Amino acid sequence: MEKVHRILLSRDDWYHQRGYWVIANALKDAGMEVVLGGIQTPMEIARTALNEDVDLIGYRIMQAAPDMVVRALFREMKANGIENIPVVVGGIISDREEKIIRELGVKAVFRSFDRLEAIRKQVRAIADLEPS
Amino acid sequence: MMYDDDVMEKIRAAQEKYEKELEKILSRTPGAGMDRSTFSGLTVKPLYSPKDVGQTDFLGDISFPGQYPYTRGVFPAGYLSRGLHIRQVTGFGTAEETNRRWKFLLSQGANALSVVPDDGSGNRADSDSEKVVGLVGKGGVALDTLVDFKTLFDGIDMAAYPVHIISTNAYALACYLAIAEERGIPFGELRGGMSNWVRPETECLDVIEYCAREVPLFNAGYLDMRNVREGGCTAVQEIAFGVATAMAGCDRLISRGLRIDDFLHRITWFVNSGPEFFEEVAKFRAVRRVWARIFRERYGAKNPLSLMCRMHCQTYAPTLTIQQPFNNLIRSTIYALAAIMGGVQSLHVNSFDEALAIPTEFSASLSVRTQQIIGLETDVTRAIDPLGGSYYVEWLTNKLEEEAVRLIDRIQGMGGAFKAWNWMCDEIRSAAMKNQQEYDSGERLLVGVNTLVDETDIQMEALKVLQRHAHFDAIHEYDPSYVDKQITRLNKVRKERDPEKLKQAVGTLTESMKSGQNMMPGLIEAVKAGMTRGEFARIKADIFKRPGEGPYVCSPPMVLA
Repeated sequence: MEKVHRILLSRDDWYHQRGYWVIANALKDAGMEVVLGGIQTPMEIARTALNEDVDLIGYRIMQAAPDMVVRALFREMKANGIENIPVVVGGIISDREEKIIRELGVKAVFRSFDRLEAIRKQVRAIADLEPS
Repeated sequence: MMYDDDVMEKIRAAQEKYEKELEKILSRTPGAGMDRSTFSGLTVKPLYSPKDVGQTDFLGDISFPGQYPYTRGVFPAGYLSRGLHIRQVTGFGTAEETNRRWKFLLSQGANALSVVPDDGSGNRADSDSEKVVGLVGKGGVALDTLVDFKTLFDGIDMAAYPVHIISTNAYALACYLAIAEERGIPFGELRGGMSNWVRPETECLDVIEYCAREVPLFNAGYLDMRNVREGGCTAVQEIAFGVATAMAGCDRLISRGLRIDDFLHRITWFVNSGPEFFEEVAKFRAVRRVWARIFRERYGAKNPLSLMCRMHCQTYAPTLTIQQPFNNLIRSTIYALAAIMGGVQSLHVNSFDEALAIPTEFSASLSVRTQQIIGLETDVTRAIDPLGGSYYVEWLTNKLEEEAVRLIDRIQGMGGAFKAWNWMCDEIRSAAMKNQQEYDSGERLLVGVNTLVDETDIQMEALKVLQRHAHFDAIHEYDPSYVDKQITRLNKVRKERDPEKLKQAVGTLTESMKSGQNMMPGLIEAVKAGMTRGEFARIKADIFKRPGEGPYVCSPPMVLA
């Protein structure tokens, strides 16, 4: 049987949650388990990922500086010994910022009007690659 | 729009003949049988005639501008006596950068101001906290203390320009009032407003109550339906959820001993304007009519001002694309046109680059120019409510009202909007999902995304060339040095404030909050004594144990499976 992936979705701030909820429902409809972290600091994301034993972290970044929060997230993940959990990012991310956060270790970056089917496939493939 | 029976009979006969011919043409036209429903689910016919609005009573349902039920606008002379407020959302970096942008926008001809702080929900730790890493001066301007607010308002005539503060935080209002006091401007002369979402929280209700007494022209209550619409809801839901939320807030305020006419006229709307042009024009008209009728009929409001629904509009953003970014100029212009034909009081036109970053001077100035071109070069504002009387628009207005009132009654049946919160959240998210699936499947078209996709995006190339070679910013980039600059400003305030005075002011504030008195007088004194935004957030958290993140949001963490 296909593994049921457990995905943590967190976001950086309060405004503009449409994408966050659409992705949450799209992953749920595809049979994944979605843990809704809501608005979390990088430290809270790492702790929730650990406690909830997730296979992948999806981070919505719309208000924050992507490089700064992603760097903080990886630092916290390392401190919690969970640096092997893959991280994907969605939101308003410039090409320059994408380059930086991919170098930091982000596995995929999604933007508005990426098709849901493609996002699901990619999330599943990335979560599958990781031993857990 | 009543017609004599014999005239109506003649129209009916002629229409029957026309419809037969129309059907013949459509049946042999490929694609003509396409889905004709709006995003709100209204099914639109190919043509409207007196038959569709025969029951509409001109004086009762449409009437004249400035007259109940205000379908055609709240002021008798529309834009002829009160021009549109050109009000672009502004906020990035420290108060200095945002103050400079405000002055730039005024120099371009903007005549109202709006500021967005970087504190999202309004309950944010100070800028040197680890909790706000990456957020300082990024999505809004960093405003930690009264000193920052003073810098923001430096050289700005508060009495001349109505300022809207995009925050639910009473802290922002306290700073605004403290500056007015220092400048000797009576509170009674302050216009503008704040994004104080109507919600069942002490802070929200205190602000409305205080302003009703002390700052009578300030729009203290706010229905942020624009962002709920951004969240995915339909035009019908935008109207219904807004009115229902206002009703729930009114119930709370009335139970505090206020009378409806004391405060209702200071609850204003923030509305959206999106791609479905005629549905939007009808929506602005329907919002006004539903508002006037509900509050007169169900709440007994008598003050005409209470029944005059006034709106600030920001154009729809979910359809702004990264692909072919200059197309967004055209999209936003069409959305703005609907808002102006619908008679909104105040407008923000999204900049073409808002799918990429926050606007630059370059793109924000184009947003101002869009409104100026509509207002100065076209005839759109020459006649008031120019689409009033259109069979189609009147039918849409009736239909939106009917559907919205049905939804309002459903929410009232659940115990009102505050109790129906989670249900409304689910409705909004389902609508967002449906909308996304329509774009994914190509059922709903978006140029540059699911149709007319360019292999080489020359618009994006042009923007990048500008960014490389222009002497101005073509795409806004966050400058991480804002953080150090802001922390220096914050530390200076902390060092220079009088600890004794601060302790006393904070003590008085805390006491008033605990004892259920209005927090505003104590808060104004506390900000004057140097209390920071983060310190106030901690006091609020301790006393109110503020749950969740705000309206239409569910508390974390929860599992969706």
